[in-house]
Amino acid sequence: MCLFSSTELNKNPVEGFSAGLIDDNDIYRWEVLIIGPPDTLYEGGFFKAHLIFPREYPLRPPKMKFITDIWHPNIEKNGDVCISILHEPGDDKWGYEKASERWLPVHTVETILISVISMLADPNDESPANVDAAKEWREDYTNFKKKVARCVRRSQED
Amino acid sequence: MAEGSEGAKTINLTVKTAKDKQILEIGEDASVKDLRELVSEKFSASLEQVCLIFAGKILKDGENLSQHNIKDGFTVHLVIKSSPSGSAQPNNRPASATSTTSAANSSSTSTPNTAANNQANAANPFAGMGGLGSLGLGGLGGLANMGMGNPNFQELQQRMQREMLNNPEMMRQIMDNPFVQQLMNNPEYMRAIITSNPQMQQLMERNPEISHMLNNPEMLRQTMELARNPAMLQELMRSHDRALSNLESIPGGYSALQRMYRDIQEPMLNAAQEQFGSNPFASLLGSNTAGNNSDAAQAGRENSDPLPNPWAPRTTTSTSTASSSTPTTSTTSTSQSTTTSSSTTTGNLGGGLPGMFQSPGMQSLMQQMMENPQLMSSMINAPYTQAMFQNLAANPELAQQIIGSNPLFAGNQVLQEQLRTMLPTFLNQLQNPEVQNFMNNPQALQAVAQIQNGLEQLRQTSPGQYHGLNMPLSYAFANLMSTMSQALTGGGSGNPEQQYASQLDQLSAMGFINREANLQALIATFGDVNAAVERLLSRLDPQS
Repeated sequence: MCLFSSTELNKNPVEGFSAGLIDDNDIYRWEVLIIGPPDTLYEGGFFKAHLIFPREYPLRPPKMKFITDIWHPNIEKNGDVCISILHEPGDDKWGYEKASERWLPVHTVETILISVISMLADPNDESPANVDAAKEWREDYTNFKKKVARCVRRSQED
Repeated sequence: MAEGSEGAKTINLTVKTAKDKQILEIGEDASVKDLRELVSEKFSASLEQVCLIFAGKILKDGENLSQHNIKDGFTVHLVIKSSPSGSAQPNNRPASATSTTSAANSSSTSTPNTAANNQANAANPFAGMGGLGSLGLGGLGGLANMGMGNPNFQELQQRMQREMLNNPEMMRQIMDNPFVQQLMNNPEYMRAIITSNPQMQQLMERNPEISHMLNNPEMLRQTMELARNPAMLQELMRSHDRALSNLESIPGGYSALQRMYRDIQEPMLNAAQEQFGSNPFASLLGSNTAGNNSDAAQAGRENSDPLPNPWAPRTTTSTSTASSSTPTTSTTSTSQSTTTSSSTTTGNLGGGLPGMFQSPGMQSLMQQMMENPQLMSSMINAPYTQAMFQNLAANPELAQQIIGSNPLFAGNQVLQEQLRTMLPTFLNQLQNPEVQNFMNNPQALQAVAQIQNGLEQLRQTSPGQYHGLNMPLSYAFANLMSTMSQALTGGGSGNPEQQYASQLDQLSAMGFINREANLQALIATFGDVNAAVERLLSRLDPQS
């Protein structure tokens, strides 16, 4: 399996997302639609995101950004996804993450998206990207649920 | 829409929800709305609940499946929009309903039009192409049948790919057009187009072998790729000649070749002839075919020519096969007349200049060229014209052979002699840049056409005078033709490594470290990185 075998993805897609190129001539820019994983707050939503690969791929990780509004502790308010496997390779200067948790050239669109889907199901509030959402998730879960439900509803409308 | 999709091919799509999975059958040019209706029925969900997702995009009602490149065997994601988490539902339902209907409204006005246009386009340019393109294909298929499908032949093909250097711009433009590509990527569709041509149907009926070839999608794809790159075709044809002459030295090889010629080449040519039967160039093509059958023609009469290369007539055959298949280039872009006229010109030029010069077909071709600059330029740009001239220039003996084998000259030793003395000069003219400028000047062309008209009048009123004039005027015409052949020389793109430098970098950045293999893949895919990657991967892992 390789990142760029998009036809393969079209034939045997992985559960929970659908990925394609934004522009058929540019294999560095992917468009993915993440289907809110069942039995989570995000169930029923379709979250559009762009996955932008650097020219140095696979030596450096791609960037993932949600286009659809999404309220989640590990997704910044502007949509940037913050998960360890998308962090630049090497040791974390803060000592949070081991090198093995960070970007490795073996990752592909599939493995990245599987991580993102599991992140949706199970937020990691220890290193939040959206501090407000993380706080809400911890302290005011009802309100958090309401905000997520609003996102899900809006995502279904477009 | 529903009636329209009845006749078209159906494809199987896997529709997948988080929990469930079903395989549906639907027409390949069905709209998204059709698919949604089908899905809502199969999954017993209301229409507005159905949301289909493919390749990262939500499919909208107004679009067609083909627009999204959804093909047989692909999987479409389905999300049934009804969140069981109660509170959201009442708000959710009406909102999504209105949004879908508004989408339908806004798009329904525009899409039927474009869809109809697409269909019209599909029917038109490819009708001619179906017939013509498949002629070239038949030639290849024939060789494969002969046992040329062995590693030897594959090696040949690879070498051909390496050597293939020039990519004529026009062809690429057409072939890079997303719509055309989409068609090409769909063997089913291509086959439907080909088989809808009555001539092809006849041909297939008479020759089950050929129909077998046409039913081979791989073969079709190959042909399309050839059509996409005429230089490749030209190279392939040349390599075939070499292969053929090798084959001949094997015991029994000659008779096998004869059989192949009789079983495949002739029916093809006949079909082509029938196809052109109704147009003014038919006579030209006829004489061309006669030239191809020179084996038979020569058998019956005394041959005063030296025959250094028994395969020379065969070479003619393949050049003309090239000329009858390559017009795919022009068919798609210009008019149908381009196809026929350009193919006949090349074929006949091989035959003999005076014959062409005097024929009414040539006259009307000249007229057309004058009136239609586009036709003119497409003829100039036709790579096979150039190829033929190069062939002739490189091999004067071949040229003599052609002259000798043409029935027009068969009985006329004097004419043969004249032509022979004229040929070297004529071929030199091909290199002359002034001649090329002349060709690009419509006024000059007009002048030539006038000369022709005058000449024709002269011939009618005073045949004696005409004979005296014949030679110098033929020169004028030789000039004309030479530029056509030369104008294209600038089209070559040089070293593939330079040409595909950026793609090579991309590939190596992706981790494909074998530069040679990368280059091969890029050459084979005309620099398309995606395709190259797929090619490289399929090499690595035959499973996928």
